[in-house]
Amino acid sequence: MSEADILRSFVLEALADLGATLSNDASLVWVTVPEAIRLDLEVPSTFALTFDPTRSGEFEAELVAPGSYFLEKLISLVTRRGRWDSIRCENPAADWVSIALVEAGLAPEAGVAAQVQETQETMFLLFSFRVTLVSDEKREAFHQIAVSPSTGAGWEVDPARAEPGGIPDDRVGPPPDLESAYRIATEVLRKSSRDVADRFRTASLRLLEEEVRRIFGYFDRTIEEIRGADPDGSQDLLLAVQGERDRRLTETLERFDPKATASLCAIRAILTPTARIRLGFPGGRSADVSIDAWSGRLNGLSCDACQGTEGPWRPGAGGEIRCATCDLTRAASVRPRGRPRSGTPPRGRRAGRGTARSPGGSKGRSRAASAPHRGP
Amino acid sequence: MSLPATEASPPADASLSLQFDAADADLLARAFRTPGDGPRAWRLNGEAHRISLIDGFDRLLAWPSLRGVTRYPHQEKTCVRVLREMRGRAILADEVGLGKTIEAGLILKEYAIRGLVHRALILTPASLTGQWREEMEAKFDLPFAVLRSLRDWEERPFLIASIDKAKRPPHRAAAQGRPWDLVIVDEAHRLRNRLSVNWRFVAGVSKKYMLLLTATPVQNDMDELFNLVSLLKPGALQTYDRFLERYVGSSDRRVPAHVPELRDRLRDVMVRNRRGIAFTLPPRRVHSLPVRLSPAERRLYDDVTEFVRDAYWSASGRMSWAARLTLIVLQREIGSSTFAVAETLGRLSTSPLFGLEERERLEALQADARAIATNVKATHLVAFLRSLGEKALVFTQYLRTLRYLQGVLEADGHRVAAYHGGLAPAAKDAAVHAFRGDRDIFLSTEAGGEGRNLQFARTVVNYDLPWNPLRIEQRIGRVHRLGQDREVYVVNLWARDTVEAYLMELLDRKIHMFELVVGELDLILGTLDERRSFEDLMMEIWTLRQAEERRAALRQLGDALVRARAQYDRMQERNDEILRDVSDEVPA
Repeated sequence: MSEADILRSFVLEALADLGATLSNDASLVWVTVPEAIRLDLEVPSTFALTFDPTRSGEFEAELVAPGSYFLEKLISLVTRRGRWDSIRCENPAADWVSIALVEAGLAPEAGVAAQVQETQETMFLLFSFRVTLVSDEKREAFHQIAVSPSTGAGWEVDPARAEPGGIPDDRVGPPPDLESAYRIATEVLRKSSRDVADRFRTASLRLLEEEVRRIFGYFDRTIEEIRGADPDGSQDLLLAVQGERDRRLTETLERFDPKATASLCAIRAILTPTARIRLGFPGGRSADVSIDAWSGRLNGLSCDACQGTEGPWRPGAGGEIRCATCDLTRAASVRPRGRPRSGTPPRGRRAGRGTARSPGGSKGRSRAASAPHRGP
Repeated sequence: MSLPATEASPPADASLSLQFDAADADLLARAFRTPGDGPRAWRLNGEAHRISLIDGFDRLLAWPSLRGVTRYPHQEKTCVRVLREMRGRAILADEVGLGKTIEAGLILKEYAIRGLVHRALILTPASLTGQWREEMEAKFDLPFAVLRSLRDWEERPFLIASIDKAKRPPHRAAAQGRPWDLVIVDEAHRLRNRLSVNWRFVAGVSKKYMLLLTATPVQNDMDELFNLVSLLKPGALQTYDRFLERYVGSSDRRVPAHVPELRDRLRDVMVRNRRGIAFTLPPRRVHSLPVRLSPAERRLYDDVTEFVRDAYWSASGRMSWAARLTLIVLQREIGSSTFAVAETLGRLSTSPLFGLEERERLEALQADARAIATNVKATHLVAFLRSLGEKALVFTQYLRTLRYLQGVLEADGHRVAAYHGGLAPAAKDAAVHAFRGDRDIFLSTEAGGEGRNLQFARTVVNYDLPWNPLRIEQRIGRVHRLGQDREVYVVNLWARDTVEAYLMELLDRKIHMFELVVGELDLILGTLDERRSFEDLMMEIWTLRQAEERRAALRQLGDALVRARAQYDRMQERNDEILRDVSDEVPA
């Protein structure tokens, strides 16, 4: 679906959800909205909508496009609604446990035996966040973090995958541990956003550094030139230049000061069957894990190498359990390292420097440490 | 004395910590205490957030929401370059007619959509404040207000101010008191002198982003370029002494040195699109249709003129501003049609602005005007349009003339789409739509199709001539603009021995105004007289009592215009020499 189609579909569905009645003309959509919504959207009770800028004047049709006033109002209204919701995940496929185990890399073919101990209903909380990075530009992302209040586990969910079916269930009251779950979610979000935020910060500070250097360079040399031209000249001029420099610096610092903020958009409570399973691995090792029907995520295993709790898993013949990442690393590290055949003569070495494998020598600094100082 | 850069910034090893919104606590407190709005509302909440996410300047968002703005690649590239590479600080130095205002509006809109600009200030010459407001409102849907009172600085987040007003107390302090997200300075060559109040005022305004708009960054000498760039990005051209040493070749400060290197430096701060081969507008052909008024029209014209001169130089010598303005209107209306002037004459014949004797004269003049059933100019217009055989835009300044012409043209079998300021937006759309369809005449007042794409027609008829040449230029600009690929015809109807004949003498014969690209005239007239508008100058000449005096004054003004045009041509050459390759490519 194109972006225009996505926008159109969203707007029409949102208006319908708000109680509007819609009728399509060739390129206009006629909308009749309830009174309460009319005030929020600042429109007459019946009005025309268009997604085509060239038709926006016709019948005083409201234009729907990024940045259009109507779309801003609609988004503001829609994001004030639907901020919490409860669903019950019912009637999962009969073999949902087997499917989840296969996806987790724990199929019988891998030598893993699984026995469901019991199935009970548990609750997950899904927190939606909007993360905003701002300096002199802005970058935003939408994140969904699932938290299991019963185990304290939290993990990021792909928002595109976060829509498995469920039946609305308004019997769910406020979860008693909502705030703790929120705190877990914020920690998961902090971790998952760290790299992006730090890259953003580094880029902003590099620009800031360039600007600050230029400003100091310009104003300080200007002051030198003024002093050079007239050593006994007025101090007022020098003070004025210094004042201008400081003002420009303040302006620049404000402009490039990076900020990262997150705001909670919505929360969903999900009641789902969860199976407690005993896994038996080659070599006789066993582990108790749980899998829920909503996310199909397996909880309760940790990697013998990195202690991570994210699958998929690679059980070893000796009973050790590794996550896929560690398993890949191990495979790479045991791969035979033959000297590559090459007609290229060995690179020349400078006296006192390291070998080709260790360019800085054994006491050499890491490449990162020896690189030109990039941060301010 | 330089501080090391490390001292000016936070330590490099610190992380950018995510700050959570305090409002999250409210949601946590309220959630699930009442039933939700349903799973659809929950899903739409997420979609609304995802649809409105901003991801840097990877793509432009504003285009689809603009109205009546044709998408040109050079404007899009300029916008992307300013946003991504110049980080919102740039001199937009396109040659005249390539749409600097659109580029600035587009950049502003991109920032506004992203929530990076909440307060914006546009500084322009006083004569352009209204035009900017209209463009920002009509094309970009940005609610700008023109500065009226001191309170506006606080209350209006999107403000347009004349730079001359803003720089003076008490406005100065108010303008500089709070930071702006974006400041746009139009006609930025007026900031060429760093010792001027203008320059120091703009330098003192705190801003995150700044756009300086000028087609001629260099007007006289190289200092001006340095001053302009230093306002935007001090140090980009080094210090003043080093700039002179390196980039000014001799004691003659008009002569640049190391030009390729200078252009390299300018590329960081300046975008200059040029009219290349692909962008050359088709030529204009100007046809002059001088008309001899009928005896009755002639008598009325002369009588009205005599009344205007008498009143203008009244014995009391204390003519109010309102009365003076009224006389100008009267003189302009009689230049349009007897129908335009008749009603004003009637209204003034009961106005307290004039004495009893004057009111009686006005009443008599109104009777004379009403007695004239046909205007000779209209007859000539009909004859011309019969011979044309294609669509045409006919402009008049006055609604009453428009009504008269509509009747005349329809009686002659033309299908007329009438367009004027009194129409509701939907009716205006319908008029443009009809002209695009089966109507052959677009009959319009000054409001005619501002921002509308009417390039499918190519003939503009000036049934009357506004005294403000920029208005004439705007009319022609409706069809002679980017997107026009056919030769454009401009037809001027004017009566001999009238103010309009003077206008033709000055604008057509002296400065060849009709050959200029839209926008150039403004730069020429800008150097003419700082205090008085061209309309004022015309009125002053026209109201001189002696014909010889009028001829002499007209000659003087003509000479001044010729000098202004020559100065403009020299300036163009100088800018071309220095800035020729500042932008990587010629618009295509």
